[in-house]
Amino acid sequence: MKTLSTLAFSCLALSVSFAADAPAGLTEGKAEFKSMGPITFALDGTLFIADTKSAAIVAVATNDAKASGSAKPVKVEEFDKKVASLLGTAPDQIKINDVAVNPVSHQVYVAVSRGKGPDAVPVLLRSDAEGKLSEVALDKVKHSRAQLPDAPVDGVVGEGRRQSNPRMESITDIAFLEDRVLVAGLSNEEFSSTLRAIPYPFKTVEGGTSVEIYHGAHGKFETKSPVRTFVPFMVGKEPELLAAYTCTPLVRFPINALKPGAKIKGRTIAELGNQNRPLDMIVYKKDGKDFLLLANSSRGVMKISTDGIEAAGVIEEPVRGGGTKGQSYETIKEWTGVEQLDKLDEAHALVLRKGEGSAVTLESLPLP
Amino acid sequence: MRRIAFAAIALTVSGAALAAPEIRWLPDHSAVEVTGIDAALLKGTEATPDKWAALFSVRTDGADEKQPAMLGTWSATGTMLRFTPRFPLTPGLRYRATWQAADGKPVTATHDVPKVNAAPSTVVERIYPGGETVPENLLKFYLHFSASMSGGDIYKHIHLREESGREVELPFLEIDEELWDREMKRLTLFIDPGRIKREVKPLVDIGPALVAGRRFTLTIDAAWQDASGLPLKQKGVKTFAVTPPDRTSPDPKTWSITAPRAGGREPLRVAFPEPMEHALALRLIGVAEVSGKTDLNDAGTQWSFVPDKPWRAGAHRLVIQPDLEDLAGNSIGKPFEVDIAGTEKEKPAAKPVNLEFEVKTGK
Repeated sequence: MKTLSTLAFSCLALSVSFAADAPAGLTEGKAEFKSMGPITFALDGTLFIADTKSAAIVAVATNDAKASGSAKPVKVEEFDKKVASLLGTAPDQIKINDVAVNPVSHQVYVAVSRGKGPDAVPVLLRSDAEGKLSEVALDKVKHSRAQLPDAPVDGVVGEGRRQSNPRMESITDIAFLEDRVLVAGLSNEEFSSTLRAIPYPFKTVEGGTSVEIYHGAHGKFETKSPVRTFVPFMVGKEPELLAAYTCTPLVRFPINALKPGAKIKGRTIAELGNQNRPLDMIVYKKDGKDFLLLANSSRGVMKISTDGIEAAGVIEEPVRGGGTKGQSYETIKEWTGVEQLDKLDEAHALVLRKGEGSAVTLESLPLP
Repeated sequence: MRRIAFAAIALTVSGAALAAPEIRWLPDHSAVEVTGIDAALLKGTEATPDKWAALFSVRTDGADEKQPAMLGTWSATGTMLRFTPRFPLTPGLRYRATWQAADGKPVTATHDVPKVNAAPSTVVERIYPGGETVPENLLKFYLHFSASMSGGDIYKHIHLREESGREVELPFLEIDEELWDREMKRLTLFIDPGRIKREVKPLVDIGPALVAGRRFTLTIDAAWQDASGLPLKQKGVKTFAVTPPDRTSPDPKTWSITAPRAGGREPLRVAFPEPMEHALALRLIGVAEVSGKTDLNDAGTQWSFVPDKPWRAGAHRLVIQPDLEDLAGNSIGKPFEVDIAGTEKEKPAAKPVNLEFEVKTGK
């Protein structure tokens, strides 16, 4: 879902070759998955799929590299019903985990679970502009796999009667940037946040970087804080990550500091209101300026200015009385119910939105 | 009687003569076949799934013709065409197979897949913390179910209510990923960290989810379905009182160890002055060089360890990983919130803590 946001890096990216026919380091065979989502693309159309249940990131050559300059408008109503129909089940038996646009072909990829129990089957679908769905076959594809490190060390030793370890780390977001995949994870036990930068082509996985933040509160308290969604963004000449934490502040930190074992404190650049969960974000350019678009659970879609972000200080005082602070933003009123967000092309976003009742629509909207 | 019998024979004969296509589902629901079709229609091995689906398709009964047909594969033998769905059919649903005959009149047949016909039996087995009190800055609950559950839209089934019955609004960190274990028998439910962290906007604006001095009830609706699609046998309920926030790290030096005797597999017992986090206490405390099974009482204050092999006499080491937390997320290595404005300085990376104990011989 983050692919096109990396276009903000095109100045960097251009120095890297994207002309290769097949991405390096991929081998042909069956790409195995226990789960799928989040997903994201590299600029050359390589798809990265996070498999939380296998604790792995899989790079897949989609063979969908027919370039099209601009995308066709998309509007697929009852998208969830269409997906359920294709998979031969009821709409309440599927879960759409993520949606991403191939930046080369502008085709829409959808990571779906069929079933809702532990045996749910992951399925990758592709949708054209008219909403015609097909399954992306993964039996014989060029792919490459990065296994994430195991859970933190156990205190309990031994074999034989060893207790099963129910710890898992959910992958909450991924993004591709130049030569690495950035992966945010959240443990189902300790309240820790790891943000890993995995060099691509995959070789070995580094230990991951734990990110810590103190929230704009007199610069007083420092706590671990899981990343919900993030996007790479150029601040001046420095590649940074703009990240929304589970407890709502929007923060930034330099990507170059993401080194194994490092500790990074995010700088709070905006407080976006309470009783709200950040869901997904992209960056885009309009009239020569960069904007951040953030979908939220209860505060709609926010268009956030990045003006002056380079010089903006950390928010040191708590924001009281239900207000907000930091980078200025406007709420895009018309964009109701947006749950998934990606860039379709330079002028359009692709959204998955829930309307009245439970109707789910996949559609393109002009970037605000 | 005679007339009816004659009629049946007549129909059979005329049916054979016209070779009307017939649709038949395999009893195990794994495939559907249409027989008696004009083999000429099947010619063209280059047929794509789209072409096959235009001839013979399966949809769930609720889906109209505009909805895509079910994914699957087709195989033709003589005058028979078989469709094998890509995924197993869903219990409780009706499916409709349609053969588009040459004369333009479709032949359809519906097929019901029986529902799982069993009485609800899954229950909420345990809710941790298991004690009667929790600190105001409690970080999480664990819900343990007796069987695998179904995910998706789960938070609507979980309610936190004050004693008055008033529901606490959005007390939990609701994330789409839903923090399950692999079997989907244990759900981790974090309290919204924004309502725990001091000076953070949600806490400043609307206060903590749990308030010291009050009682709360956590309720799990019986309507929540398990993995087989059945509701829970009964709702899950846990009532507890809230104590003031706990902002200090657990200190293993305050723990008391009751060492076992050598030669047997008597448990090693460790008592904590405050409850420890359930899953982490089971996973992050162990005995160096000894394999065995750990346990924690419901209150979270008594940890025990039964070795796989009898204890040998001599010095042993209890090893506590620094990520071990109390109920408020304060770990051995670091409190949940570090006051960086004050005198606290960056501490070196936390290391495991060792506590020695002696296993003696004799009674």
